[in-house]
Amino acid sequence: MTGEQLMFYAFAAMAVVSALATISRRNPVVAAVWLVATFFAVACCYVLLNATFLAAIQILVYAGAMMVLFVFVIMVLDVDERGRAEHRRPSRIAKVGYYGSLVVAGGFVAWVLVGTLARQFLMPGADLHARAIARPGAPPFGSAEDVGQLLFTKYLFAFEAISLMLLAAVIGAVVVARSHREREKEAANSGMSPEARRAAGLTSPLDPLQDGGPTPVGDFGEPSATGHDGGN
Amino acid sequence: MLPITHFLYLAFALFLIGAAGVLLRRNILIVLMSIELMLNAANIVLVTFSRMWGNTDGQVLAMITIAVAAAEAAVGLAIVVSIFRARTGTDIDDLALLRD
Repeated sequence: MTGEQLMFYAFAAMAVVSALATISRRNPVVAAVWLVATFFAVACCYVLLNATFLAAIQILVYAGAMMVLFVFVIMVLDVDERGRAEHRRPSRIAKVGYYGSLVVAGGFVAWVLVGTLARQFLMPGADLHARAIARPGAPPFGSAEDVGQLLFTKYLFAFEAISLMLLAAVIGAVVVARSHREREKEAANSGMSPEARRAAGLTSPLDPLQDGGPTPVGDFGEPSATGHDGGN
Repeated sequence: MLPITHFLYLAFALFLIGAAGVLLRRNILIVLMSIELMLNAANIVLVTFSRMWGNTDGQVLAMITIAVAAAEAAVGLAIVVSIFRARTGTDIDDLALLRD
């Protein structure tokens, strides 16, 4: 078994095991950390496929940005975790095995990724393996230069469309995640009439009701356990 | 040289695990993570065939997939936040708002 094969099977096993752990953990924070491990193992598989630039992007975007987003949302939501794993005392052998495999796996990942990044950004073109399958005179297969040339010529329209889609996603996320109270305040500030606001379900209990509707009693609503009324 | 089929087996396994997570778990955050797993499996297939043909197009497509996955995660998590505000929970079986 060559070294390349050994690395592939190690990383494939890491990816599958961490993916299984991701979907089987009860606590979403723990699942997110296992998902990061899956992304790292998949990035190492990309390196074995000579897609070095894509491996760097995978780490930056998935493990860097997206996981921070997930963990922040979990933090904001204050999800009730009912995992009992924290309360179980692991045995000494389990502890040694756990930390030992963590160090070995982390060392593997660091070795491959540091080597790849050094090759990608410090000495581009030093990859003999990639040059073997590259066209003569063309940049090495899978390098930033290679991918970038294609991305900004043949796939330029897709690139621009993606930027538009990201803008739409940002605006959509902000609009969807606004709270009911913020929407009420905005409607009041933008000069919507009270009737229109009531029709849109954006009345505040502080607004006086003019047209003989149900008179507002002094009930401004207890801070209920279920948040706002959820009727939107 | 590694056999190309083994990368495809890996992608297949990851996709199956992601699909199982979507179907079996009820926590909406873990369902979103399982969707990311399935998108990753698709990326592995793209990169594998890109390597097989010595053609970089597959890697460009994989990058576009990553961008789409990022946008999907942002919008999905915004929906989770608004659902959580309304219902105080992340259990997707509670979400029958559209049916009522």
